[in-house]
Amino acid sequence: MPDLAISTRGLRKTYRTRRGRTVVAVQGLDLDVPVGGVHGFLGPNGSGKTTSIRMLLGLIRADAGTMTVFDRPVPAQLPAVVGRIGAIVESPKFFPAFTGRRNLELLAGAIGAPAQRVGEVLEQTSLAERGKDKFKGYSLGMKQRLAIAATLLKDPDLLIFDEPTNGLDPAGIREIRETMRGLGDQGKTVLVSSHILAEVEQVADTVSIIGHGRLLASGTVAEVIGGGAAATVKLGVADREAAARVLTAAGLAVRADGNHLLVDGVERPAELTKLLADQQLYVHELVQVRADLESVFLELTAGEGLA
Amino acid sequence: MIRLIGVELRRLTWRRITAIGVIGVFLITAFMLFATWRESRPLSEAEQRAAQTQYEMAHRDWVANAERNEADCRANFDPSTSGGMSVDDVCKWSEPKREEFGKPQAVFRQIAPNMLQGSAYLLLFAAFLVGASFVAAEFSTGAIGNWLTFEPRRLRVYGSKMAAAGLWFVPLGIAVTGVLTLGIYLITARLGSTAGTDWSDIVGLIARVVTTTAIGAVIGGVVGLVLRHTAAALGLAMGYIVLVEGIFASFLQNAQPWLLVRNFDAFVLHDTRYVLNKCVTQADGNYVCNQIEKTLTFEHGAWYLGILTLVALLGAGLIFQRRDVN
Repeated sequence: MPDLAISTRGLRKTYRTRRGRTVVAVQGLDLDVPVGGVHGFLGPNGSGKTTSIRMLLGLIRADAGTMTVFDRPVPAQLPAVVGRIGAIVESPKFFPAFTGRRNLELLAGAIGAPAQRVGEVLEQTSLAERGKDKFKGYSLGMKQRLAIAATLLKDPDLLIFDEPTNGLDPAGIREIRETMRGLGDQGKTVLVSSHILAEVEQVADTVSIIGHGRLLASGTVAEVIGGGAAATVKLGVADREAAARVLTAAGLAVRADGNHLLVDGVERPAELTKLLADQQLYVHELVQVRADLESVFLELTAGEGLA
Repeated sequence: MIRLIGVELRRLTWRRITAIGVIGVFLITAFMLFATWRESRPLSEAEQRAAQTQYEMAHRDWVANAERNEADCRANFDPSTSGGMSVDDVCKWSEPKREEFGKPQAVFRQIAPNMLQGSAYLLLFAAFLVGASFVAAEFSTGAIGNWLTFEPRRLRVYGSKMAAAGLWFVPLGIAVTGVLTLGIYLITARLGSTAGTDWSDIVGLIARVVTTTAIGAVIGGVVGLVLRHTAAALGLAMGYIVLVEGIFASFLQNAQPWLLVRNFDAFVLHDTRYVLNKCVTQADGNYVCNQIEKTLTFEHGAWYLGILTLVALLGAGLIFQRRDVN
């Protein structure tokens, strides 16, 4: 049993524009996605997430670097593992004039899945009643559900969702989130790429943040938050002005927050109490304000283009 | 691979443009049969009386003048201006026959090859259009990306699409040419003549029409894959016909053995003939043009179409194997 579902090393992809300009989409990406659970693949628009996923799936060629999926080098041995991968890349793309059921029947036929599997996955994704409608008449949410149904035809171990909630309403977003979390809880590996932090933070066990085609941070959500931003501490003290002077003199950034003070960049919060107590200022409340993924993301990708 | 071909055959069957193509082909075939029936109908009594009158007049003229006309012709015959024809060929004054007046009889062995040649063009066009749309639609909708996440072996995917396109049109070609041949046979048996029919020739012709139909679907698929849009594929085909077969061919007559339509005819009709204008300045300074009839053989057409199909298949396969799918 491999430890990593996906691993890339030095992955690189450049495009040539119609005007002959070379654009580097991915430059030396090292990405590790552990087996099991939900892995968030974060980055601003244009940071190389979709390009990386396409390379993993053999849809586009890498210029350099190596990739493995379940320890198999891809794209060379992709046929050996493709049965274990279900993927939705960007918006779901099916034959618009065919019904949802027919689209799934074709895909099931291609992998030799039994015919009744189509009915099962339509049931699983609550599309059984709309399976006879043409794909072009589906709402965006239904299209996403059909795409998920298609990935489930294979009963895959690795699911790749690229911006799965784009264009969905809040109910649709929650549905997709619950589906991803549910799959992760079943022991499947879910790689979800997104630029919407809140969406990933709620479901991901581990994350990788990329910008300009490079890995900026990776690890569990807690590790990334802890490693990326120093803590902010909310402080309750009777003489706030005096406390602010003491802390500022100690080189800390202090802001007023109602009846409290917010102190940024605190590495060891306990030292604050000592610093203030030495000046006869006694802390009656000290809360570490938890950094969120969004602040880490913005910090790490500061200056990265949001094209 | 067999499984993929089966899936592609189902997809091709389910497509609306396929149904439209099939209905269109059968409608046009029905129209061709209707036209054959109209042309084969016996003359009305009034038309027969007019033809009889014409015949009697011609025969009276022949009785009165044929001998004298022939003698005058022989006396004035100049071999240098006869274009190689003998005096007997030029001056023979044949007796008019009744069947030469009025509408000629519909004969199966004469009509069937012409109609089958017409259906070959019709089927070729329909197969090209449906084949191009069948493959191009996957690229224009983006469904090919989804497909490749289920079967990433591109040469298998490519091979299955091309094989399905070609195979699907084999039964259609047989059905259309079969209906057409049977229809013409029934019409001529009732209203004309089926004498002298060589069924091995007819079956061979049908087999060649079916072959070119399958090739048309495959070439359509190749063009659809390379251009990724049905309209672009159709535009390329039209552009080729107008620019190369029309304008270019009229300027460069010697290129005729290398034109697609000429080779198509040579293959379908088992040899075809074309005319070249050969113009020379003679010793006396006269500029003389003679028409020379040439034959393009079946073998030439077969090799031409075979190599063209193979090169197109290999080229498109290479493109698909290397192309990024977005």
